[in-house]
Order: sequence, then C-alpha cells, then structure tokens
Amino acid sequence: MSVEKMKSIGVIGKKTLLNRVLRLVALNGSMHMINALVRVNSTDFLLPPSEKNIEALEELPFLKPYSSKRDFTKEEEVVKSLLSLFTIKPQLRIEYLGEDYDYDDFMKQLSDIYTKVCSTANEIEEKVNSIDKKREYIDSLKYLSRFSLDISRFIYMKYLVFRLIRISRENYDKLKKNYENIPAVVLKVGVEGKYVIVASITPVSLEETLEKIFSSLNYTLLAIPTEFRGTAAKVTEELIKSIGEDQKVIEYLKKSSEDYGVKYITELKKGYSRLEMEKKTEELKSEIAMGNKLFFMFGFVPVSSVSRLKSELESQFGGEVIILVEDINKTVSGITPPTKLSNIKLFSPFEILVKMYGTPAYHEKDPTAFFGLTYMLLFGAMFGDVGQGLILLFSGLILELGWKRTSLGGILSRVGLSSTVFGFIYGSVFGSEEILSPLIIRPMANINYMLVAAVVFGIVLILSSYTYNIINSSLEKNMEEGLFSRNGVVGLAFYLILLYTIFRVVVTHSNISPALVYIMAALLLLMVVKQPLSNKLTHTTKLYRGSPSNYYIEEGFGVIETLLSMLSNTISFLRVGAFALTHVGLYIAFATLARMMSTSWGNLSVLVLGNIVIIVLEGLIVFIQALRLEYYELFSKYYRGDGIEYVPVKIKVYHLSVGE
Amino acid sequence: MDKLTRYSAVNTKIRVMEKEFLRREDYLNMLQKKSVADAARYLKEKTSYDKLLGGISLDTVSRRDLEDILKRNMIKNMDKLIHYFWDDYKDLVRSLYIKYEIEDLKVLARSIFNGKEPETIEKPLSFLGKYSRVNPKRLFQSRTIRDLIYSLEGSEFFEVLNPLVDGKRENLFRFEMALDMGYFNIIQSRRLKISREDRKMLKKWEGMVADLYNIQWIYRGKKFYNLSPEELLNYTINFGDRLTFADRKGMCYTKNLEELYSMTINSVYGFLFKKEEISRDIYMERRINRFMYYKLKALTRKFTMSIIQTIGYVWSLEFEIRDIISIIESIRYDLPPEEARKFLVKAA
Repeated sequence: MSVEKMKSIGVIGKKTLLNRVLRLVALNGSMHMINALVRVNSTDFLLPPSEKNIEALEELPFLKPYSSKRDFTKEEEVVKSLLSLFTIKPQLRIEYLGEDYDYDDFMKQLSDIYTKVCSTANEIEEKVNSIDKKREYIDSLKYLSRFSLDISRFIYMKYLVFRLIRISRENYDKLKKNYENIPAVVLKVGVEGKYVIVASITPVSLEETLEKIFSSLNYTLLAIPTEFRGTAAKVTEELIKSIGEDQKVIEYLKKSSEDYGVKYITELKKGYSRLEMEKKTEELKSEIAMGNKLFFMFGFVPVSSVSRLKSELESQFGGEVIILVEDINKTVSGITPPTKLSNIKLFSPFEILVKMYGTPAYHEKDPTAFFGLTYMLLFGAMFGDVGQGLILLFSGLILELGWKRTSLGGILSRVGLSSTVFGFIYGSVFGSEEILSPLIIRPMANINYMLVAAVVFGIVLILSSYTYNIINSSLEKNMEEGLFSRNGVVGLAFYLILLYTIFRVVVTHSNISPALVYIMAALLLLMVVKQPLSNKLTHTTKLYRGSPSNYYIEEGFGVIETLLSMLSNTISFLRVGAFALTHVGLYIAFATLARMMSTSWGNLSVLVLGNIVIIVLEGLIVFIQALRLEYYELFSKYYRGDGIEYVPVKIKVYHLSVGE
Repeated sequence: MDKLTRYSAVNTKIRVMEKEFLRREDYLNMLQKKSVADAARYLKEKTSYDKLLGGISLDTVSRRDLEDILKRNMIKNMDKLIHYFWDDYKDLVRSLYIKYEIEDLKVLARSIFNGKEPETIEKPLSFLGKYSRVNPKRLFQSRTIRDLIYSLEGSEFFEVLNPLVDGKRENLFRFEMALDMGYFNIIQSRRLKISREDRKMLKKWEGMVADLYNIQWIYRGKKFYNLSPEELLNYTINFGDRLTFADRKGMCYTKNLEELYSMTINSVYGFLFKKEEISRDIYMERRINRFMYYKLKALTRKFTMSIIQTIGYVWSLEFEIRDIISIIESIRYDLPPEEARKFLVKAA
C-alpha cells in the first residue's frame, strides 16, 4: 500500500515522430513528465553504448530545449466558429485521436471547409442587413403615409430638397419659435418618445444653410428608399414583399450551409479533438529536449503501467524509438520522483485530506491509512449516533456513486459509518437514548469516564505518531530527527516518563522520585544538543549548520515549547470526550424545546429541525475538530509532506456511450 | 423629509472641509513664488495640501501632476459628500460630476482629433467615467471621434452624440457643442424627487448659470465664429433665470456687437461688458466665475439648510483648483504677480 513505486522512462526518437509519440503518451495517460535536459544532465543518467544508441549518444552534448511556440489562435477561431455554426458540442473523442494522421494536412482541409461556409454566412449577413435597412425604410415611410403621392417625387425634385429628420422635443421647440427665420418649409409629421419627426423642403440653393441649422439641432436623418415608385403605402407593401423574398433566400442559404454541416460533420468533430490534442502536445514540448535529428523525452511511470506504455510504443513505432526503462535509484539522482498514493478502498478518499496538508515524499511513509483510521475513530467518537450517522453514510454514498464526487462523498460515507458504529456503542438514535440500550456506555451518564478515555485515546495516538516519525527518520537515515529530537526516541522517552510521573502523582499520590527528574533533565539536555551530537556521531565536519549562539537560543526556547506542547497536545484530546457530550447536550436542548410545543406536529418539527441543525452544524464542527487534531497534534510530529504529486500527462476524452 | 435631518450632518462635514480652503494670503504668497517647485513647496509646507503632496518630489513636479493630484482630491471630497445623501439627492449630487466629466471628454476628443496618443495629453483627465460610469480605459483606446462616441455607449452622453455619426458631422466642434447641449439637457430633463425649496433653489441657480453661459456664447459666436443667428440660437441653453427665449432670440439677431452691448448693459448681466474693450475677451470668463462665486457665497449664507451648501462647496473647490493652476501657469510663463492676479477668481 501507500506510495506506489515508479520507474523512470525515457523515449528517444526522430523529431518527425515527436507529435505522434506525444499523442500516444497523452492518450496512454500514465507518464509524469520531467524536464528532459535536467534528466540528461543528472549524474546517474546513462545511455548504454550500443549500436542502436549511437546516434543518440552523438547528439547528447548538443541538446537544446524546445523553443518555437506555435500559435493556435487562427485554428482555434476556425474550429470554434465551425462548432458554434453547426451547434456541435465540443467533445474530445478517443477514436479521432487514435488514428494516425498528419495534423497540418487535416487543418488545411478544415480551413477550406471553413472558407466555403464563411462565404455563405457572409451572404446571409448581407441579406439580414438589407432586411434591416428595409425595415428602417418602412419606419420612415410610416410618417409619409398621409401624403397620397408618389414618394419618388420627393427624392427626384430638381430645384427643391426634401428630407425627413428626427430631433429632440426641446430642439423642435427652438425651431418652432424661430420659424420665421428658417429658410425651409418644415412640417412636424410624428412624435416618437422624446423625439419629434420633421419633414422639410428647401430650395437647393439654401440646402447648405439649412444643413448648418439642422446640425446645430443635432438631427438624425431618416432614410427614404430611392429605388421605388408609388405612394408610401404602396412602397411599404413592396418593401414587405421584398423582405419576405430576402427571408426565403436566407432560409435557403441556411439550409445549404446546414448541408455542409451534415456532409462534414465528422471532419468538424475531429477538428475539435485534434486541435485540443495538438495544443496539449505543444504544452508538453516545453519539457522535451531537442537534438539535431532526435528528441529526448523523460518521465516517471508507475511500475504497474510500464509494460502497457512500452508495448504501445513498440507496436506503433517498432524500432524507430529507443525506450529506456530504469529503476529509481534512491539517493543519487537529483530529481524527486512523484508520489502516487495507492490505498485500499476504505482509506483512499482520505488522500485528499492528507494532500491538503502536503503530498508525502516518494520515500516517506504514506500516512493515509493511519490518518483514515484515526480520523474515522475521532469523528465517530465525537458524533456517535445511529440515525444521523446513517444519514451521513447514505448522503455520502449518493455523492460517491451517484454524482461521482468520490473524495467528498467517500469521506462522508466513511465517517457516517463510523458514526453509526459509535451510535450503537453510545445507544443513541437521532439523539434519542430511549430506543437503543448502549453497547458500552452512555456519555452523559459517565462524564469523567468519557473525558479520561478521550485523553487515553489521545495518548495512544500520540505514541503511534512518535513511532511513525522514528520509522520515517530511520528510512531517511536522519539521526538528528529520529534519535535526539523532541519527536524522536529521546522525546518519546521523555514523554513516557512524564506521563508515568503524572500518573504516580495523581493516582498513587506518591512523591516524585528524584531519579525520574534527573532522567528527564538529561533527556531535555540531549534534545538541546541534538544537532552537534548527531553531527559528531555521523562524523560530519561541521557541528552546527548555523551560528552556535542562534542555535542555542532557539533550542533553549524549544525546551519550553516541548514541555508546553507535550502537555497541551495530550490535553487537547479532551475535546473528543467533550464533543461526545456536546452532541448529547444539543439534543437535550432541542428535546426540551420540542416538549414545550403544544401540538405533536410542532413537537416533531422541532425535533426534525434540531436534527438537521445537529447534522449540519455539529457535523461540520466535528469534521473540522477531527481534522485539527490530525493536523496539529499528530501530523506536526511525524509528517512533513514535501513530496511532488504524481500528475500524469493526460487528455480528457469523452467516452462513447451506448447507442452513439 | 425634514431638512434638518437631511442637511445637518453634511453641512457639518462641509464646514470642516471648508477649513482646508486656502486663505487669501496663501494665494498672494504663492503669486510671489519664482518657480513651480517653490509654489508647490509652499502648498506642501504652509497649507492643508501637505498630506496630498507628501509623496511627490517637489523639484520635478509638473503642472500636470499637480493638477491631477488636486483634481483627484476634488473627486475624493465629492465622493465623501455623496455618502451623506440618499434617495434622489444622491443622484443630484452625483450629477455635479457631469460638468467636469464633459470637460475632460472634450479634452480627450481634442487630442484624438489632433492625432495625439492619449498618454501624452497635457491635462489630466481624472473625471472620466465619474458620472457616465464608463471605464476610462475604453475611452482612452479610441482612435477616432467615432470610436470615442461608440465607447460611450450605454451612458447618457451616447444619446446626444449618436446623431453625429453620419460621416459629415463627426468633427470636434459638433462633438463639443453636442456634449455641452447634452449637459444642460440632462440636468434639465431629470425628474428628481427633491423638496420644493431645493427645486426652486436649483432652478434659480442653474438658470443663472445658463444665462451667463448663453450671453458668453452669443458674444463669442458673433465675434469669433461668425455663426448665423439661427445656429447661434439653436445652440443656446433652452432655459434661464432672467433671460427669456425672446431675449435670447433678440440677442442672436442683433446686427453687430455694439447692439449686443447696448442690449445687455442695463440688465443684471451688464457687468460682463463693462470696462474697456480690450479686456473683454480675456476677462469675461473670469468675470462670470467671480459673479457666480459671490452669488454662491450670498446664497449659502442665506439658505443654510439647503442643497446650495453642497453645490457652493463643490464650485468653490473648483475655483480654488482653477486659481492654483492659474498661478502655476503664470509662474511658468513669467507673468508679473500683478498681472497674474487679474486672472484669479477667489482672491483678487
């Protein structure tokens, strides 16, 4: 369990194959890429000097990072507008990507389709514009409908100019009051909101003067059709007819472009998938090193997936690529392998809570199992209730299985299960203690017992985290941390003696024996000198990493902190008991309120409301408190979490559902 | 709403902010300074502007920076006042921004028209967007007058500017005139729920401003622009305090300037044309400003619990900034203090 073992994989091949190799890797989805130049330059990199590798060996000293960035904006635009034109849902389909294809040829083909479709779209737009214009004409003609004469006579007058304008009411007012000085016949023909529509006729020679005057009134010219003859009513009719014709043309054009859509639908769908894939591979190229003719690519693959990736590469490219598979050398390589957590189903949802604190390092022990187990115990102990636990369990299962929210739903269902189990232990169903008899204990009736049990449980957890830290440190061969630090063997011994002393004083009322005090003082001294001591033992030349005075000041305060935190960490677990009591207490409060209701409906609704509040509010608080105990009291002792998460190169594909 | 509850808080605030105004000696002392840096130092060390000017280096400060700082301060103070109002009064006080935003828009349009990069505009345009709520960045990206008009889409200004977009009328003159007319249209056509006393006060005050601007417009139109009487009339503000439409029309249709003088000389606004011919053009604006300044002073003294207190404060702040900038400009152009004084509004 815990951290999955990785192998280092290298792929070397001709540059022309690069895109296809990257596509395959992305579809395979198991490789965590690392920078190829870093890998090649690391001390343990070795390319076996064989005939097959000779070309690659020659290129090794001349590797450069991949630099030329491609610009996809144009292609994106093509694909995006095609998709929206034919309302195709953008979906990445594996069947379009698995095929062997040349991206550039494909894109050229697609942009040809786009040009054709575009010209149709332009025609449609032209028609739409012409309809808009005609509507505008109809709007202005409305104001001329009262004159029963041929409107073309307005337009083709020889010595007079006619125009239809719109001005604001205030400006119309000014015009009216100064009418005697205006060199035109002006007629108000309509009102439109806060605007007035005015028709004017003026001699051609005065047109310019009138233009200035109208300009100063901030006018808008209304358009009148020039290519029609007849009265306003007749022209309007003709315009409506011509709009109808235009609409028919638009229909026809739309249909023909839809035909394009039907004809090329697979090409269009391919377009999206392949563009996205190309963008992804382009992104990956930043990690790749380029030689003159070859590319070099490196990454980590979980042991279980190595053979699949290898066989896929070999079957598609055969001998054209060199595949290097190496075990991870523990200490030499300067590259940290990524951590892929793999835990049994019961604990795997808790990985997300562990990662929230930090991803475990590749060589660190994965704390998820321990975390999951203790988290469930802590939550259950604080929130023990059969009914409410079952609600959490089922809502978690719905989230996990129905809505595919695996981490949240998984955590919820697991803590719900634990809560149910503790519910049986406490004999509590939806807060009520009358239905079940407790298997072990009723919290409210045994307050002291609950609190002491909580502290004892806490001590057990703290002791296990000491053990964890000692194991982790010994794996890392970190003597300072594992042996002498306050979380190491010395700290553990000190903690045990301290507990023993307190136990003697409190329970047996005997005096503190001086021997114990001396031992504790000696252990504290060891903690203070942990760094020089361990450096002496491991024969490191320098005794202190920083300046000695700073070190001693820090460690001096460290001693005080050790004493305080040991006590406070232990006492902190009191809250487990306290929340078990709160849980009962909250229910009692609601039950009392319910009893005060006069009707049985009221009674029931208060109880239901109370349970909802308890589940939501207390559930959240207990969730956080348990997390706090884990992070602060336990993780800080043994868990560092400075690893890199395993993020394989992957492209999200839409899988075919039945019937498509 | 009782006017006591409406005004007591804001008026107290105004009294406090008025304490920060420069005193008469300050203007006179600044006039004596020999360089922009000296004047700025005086502002920093001797007046309430010390906090504002704290962060700038006095030796390199330009008129542009200083004006920007002063205008931003003005916005800050106006925003402070807006917080004291509610209901339609909030809109009313906010509409005091229109005037300044239009001034800035006109400057921006002018520099776009002259093909300048907006970054190099001499004057700071701090007020852009304060009333229209248009993002100033959008305005600055305009490269033509048409762009500028379209970037105002959605604001009240767009409505008055939209008719200009027809290929013939997108020039600077029409743009400026349309905005100016738009300003008076906006303030005239808004329907605010305010007390009857405030409405009366506002009508009186805005009418007087309109009268003054109308006379100035007709005078300048006749003297410099050679516009036809019809155009002149169409571009006058369509309301007023003392002047009726007939008065305006009469002024527009006077044959020459002499006739215009004799028509106004005996009215309340006769002071605009008094004194020798030569100074008329240069000092007319200052005369108008001084008239308004003293009018506002008189009104604020008389109507203590009214909106005029707020209007008076904002205008007074504007005049102060105007005067400071005038002083700085006259220092830059080496105008003798005696001459420079003749351009100041608040201190003469």
